[in-house]
Amino acid sequence: MVEVAGREIGVFNIRGELYGLPNICPHQTGPVCSGRVVTGSLRSTESTGWKTEWVHAGEVIVCPWHGLEYHVPTGQCLAYPHIRLRRYAVDVDDGGNVAVRLPTRRVRSA
Amino acid sequence: MATISEQPAAQPREPLSDLLIVDADVHVHESPAALVPYCDMPWRVALENISGVRETYLDIPSFSPGVSDGSYQAKFPTAHEGARMVHSPEQMREELDEIHVDLGILFPDHLLKLPVLTQTEYAAALARAYNAWLVDRWASVEHGLLGCIIACNHDPDEAAREIERYARHPAIVGVYLPCAGIDPLWGHRRYDPIYAAAEAADLPVLLHSVTVTHPVFPFNNHGFDTEMGRHTCSHTFSIMANVVHMVTTGVPVRFPTLRIALAEAGVSWMPFIMQRLDKEYLERRRDVPFLTERPSHYLKQWYVASQPIEEPEDMADVARFIDLFDGWDTTMFASDWPHHDFDHPSKLDQVPMTPEQRRMIFGENALRFFNIDARGRRLAL
Repeated sequence: MVEVAGREIGVFNIRGELYGLPNICPHQTGPVCSGRVVTGSLRSTESTGWKTEWVHAGEVIVCPWHGLEYHVPTGQCLAYPHIRLRRYAVDVDDGGNVAVRLPTRRVRSA
Repeated sequence: MATISEQPAAQPREPLSDLLIVDADVHVHESPAALVPYCDMPWRVALENISGVRETYLDIPSFSPGVSDGSYQAKFPTAHEGARMVHSPEQMREELDEIHVDLGILFPDHLLKLPVLTQTEYAAALARAYNAWLVDRWASVEHGLLGCIIACNHDPDEAAREIERYARHPAIVGVYLPCAGIDPLWGHRRYDPIYAAAEAADLPVLLHSVTVTHPVFPFNNHGFDTEMGRHTCSHTFSIMANVVHMVTTGVPVRFPTLRIALAEAGVSWMPFIMQRLDKEYLERRRDVPFLTERPSHYLKQWYVASQPIEEPEDMADVARFIDLFDGWDTTMFASDWPHHDFDHPSKLDQVPMTPEQRRMIFGENALRFFNIDARGRRLAL
């Protein structure tokens, strides 16, 4: 967890790729990135005859407050298709420092 | 589900931190070891005997037996804090401050399942021990933590004596009627001494269930594949069944000044039950000749704790539900902190409300129901 410009951002390393997600769940403002578990989830579709499968292994976080699941690489909320966490770009600079990039504020033209 | 970013612009409201918030439902954590010093013999020996037993959440054999947390199905890894507990009043006060709650109304954890114990004397002893422990260690007007003593359904005369014992305690503001696995349901006339004692003590009664699988309607829920199915129909069906039985046996008529609240079933079932009972009344008035008004007349005087508040896409639908049961002066905010499905007050705050409705739902209705002032002091003493 890092704090950047007053925001808490959860930084995740998934198989060498870095991701940043805001630590506020759109549901009830819970600390979505604070759970210490990055796991997978379950899916069941007609294409496999409704057999339950383990998917997104190592890519799912679960909000500690109410259990909403989010796919870290895409920010997608598994329960609600229209909810997707914004993602912050995270990379490693030449000095080996991890950098979280915040978008610059866009000025709306009149 | 309305997200924070999608909230419609509204007139500025005072922040939740400035609002008087009474939380009608929070949970302490009692353990066998904690209750030992308060428990009568010989039952104290049994509590000491199990003090070292490893606890699965709200499930200690010989204390709070029976599955209630998904034990009938596979358990996958998760970060969801499904077993949050509050172990001290200091912790509770700190955590309630974080969610802007001024006064919290205390309910038990394990003893939510009291009715499933089969031994009357033991259940009554546990209830006495819990009440004494709650009063000694938790309930405090100074800290804004007000308690509900538990009425042991197994022994209504003993429960009535407990109510009389705590009737004038400044930090006790209600009587908790446990619903999980109860048989018979709370309308049965054997419970009349409890209602009489509560009415005489000017203490309201609050019905609160929990999910259990128990061979009694409506807890015979093993047929559902999933915990989702069981939990959907647990608190909700339990509260509705108890409400139906209480109305159709005349509790509100025989105890006309008794204040009654329903906890942890949300609000959307109220219009359904009111309208269904009113329709039944047209055909079956002879079943309930003691009622002088249609059932909804009585139910509109009962109070409802909001948690788990429904979360439709358009939160105005919650306001529509409240309109339908005339609930603006009987709905009370509740968080259910620290349980797995607690409501942060910001969720209820997404319901479109006038400033007056907001003040009522978040605090003033509860002050009236518990007959306390804004600092939690009982007005009837």
